[in-house]
Amino acid sequence: MHEWSLAEAVIEALTQVMEQEGARRASEVEIIYGEMMELELDILKFALEELSKGTPLEGSKFTFNEERASFRCNSCGHRWDFRQVHELLPEDLWVSEPDGGRESPIHFIPDLAQALMVCPNCGSRDFEVESGKGLRINKVILEV
Amino acid sequence: MSDPILGKARSKLRKMGRITLVASGKGGVGKSLVASSLALTSASRGYRTGLLDLDVHGPSVPRIFGFNGELLAGKGGLIPPVINGLKLMSAGFMVGRNPLLIRGESKFSLLSFLLAITDWGDLDHLVIDMPPGTGDETIFSLRVLRGVREAGAVIVTTPSSLSQSVVMRLISLLRGEGMRIYGLVENMAYINCCGELLRPFGSIDDDFLRDCGLRILASLPIEPSIEERIREGRFLELPEEFRSRMDELLDGIMGVR
Ligand SMILES: [Zn+2]
Repeated sequence: MHEWSLAEAVIEALTQVMEQEGARRASEVEIIYGEMMELELDILKFALEELSKGTPLEGSKFTFNEERASFRCNSCGHRWDFRQVHELLPEDLWVSEPDGGRESPIHFIPDLAQALMVCPNCGSRDFEVESGKGLRINKVILEV
Repeated sequence: MSDPILGKARSKLRKMGRITLVASGKGGVGKSLVASSLALTSASRGYRTGLLDLDVHGPSVPRIFGFNGELLAGKGGLIPPVINGLKLMSAGFMVGRNPLLIRGESKFSLLSFLLAITDWGDLDHLVIDMPPGTGDETIFSLRVLRGVREAGAVIVTTPSSLSQSVVMRLISLLRGEGMRIYGLVENMAYINCCGELLRPFGSIDDDFLRDCGLRILASLPIEPSIEERIREGRFLELPEEFRSRMDELLDGIMGVR
């Protein structure tokens, strides 16, 4: 549901780059986002299109790539992925959305995984998030 | 390519009327209490005010305000709970009692997200409860706030623990990162004993103030009843004298050009 605020963030960042580079338009934009953000791509895409209307970004082609999340325990060396622990996230701390849905806080702030997960093998909280969080603009093709 | 989340965090901060960072050289001087009281006073004076808890390892805002309800989210992101007209946000609302083991760039990313996806609406005043000291969190917070002209800091200290070198280190860190400092808040400064002011821990000395080029914006009384009020869920009723000093502090901050 916060796809709209993320779309705003992307548009603001792109607008800034285009101004810096003196670009007329951006023909192609590639966005990489972490699996832990559990984004609804349809909404993100729609929001990007809506927010680009009437700006130099109108008509840009947006492509998306999801980066799978992976974790490694510093205590026992075990590795795991997001799906294996998704069911174990503490439900009492979920965030409610207007459509009646509920999301883990990790969906809004992926780095909170560090507080809401433990190693499924040994229970340690001392683990590394190797990949799968955040959102970045990986590539943009500008037309000057 | 610039980080869109950090960019969004900064553009939100630039829209705030005024931003007050409440910082301290070390823990235990009542920084969170000062930040919370200041924010509450600001809201009660009619400023549209938010309180952001950036102390991710020891968030105090949930406990001080006794909020343990469920967070809501809307189209614009996380909706800050409102108490007495004051909007609150803290990572503590989302992690409960779980410890947050987080390091390095992850911490920076968390702070950027927290700022970027909170839907504050229009605010006249954002009060930020900073992490204590001059560690990673403080440096990361300052990185997010770099170049935000509306921001300034107040430094909370006590006369007893004015280990001056600790405060001086914080002052040089803030100034080095381009953060302006509104002044000092002297917490636990005195007891009002039937109109007579007793200063059991002494006073901040003038030489120190001259050396750091700062003034004291407010001296706060020792008020043991505040801890009691927090435990009983009555923090919102600030003791009268404490409240008047908070008014002075707010005036001091809002008067800065
Ligand atoms: Zn393990």
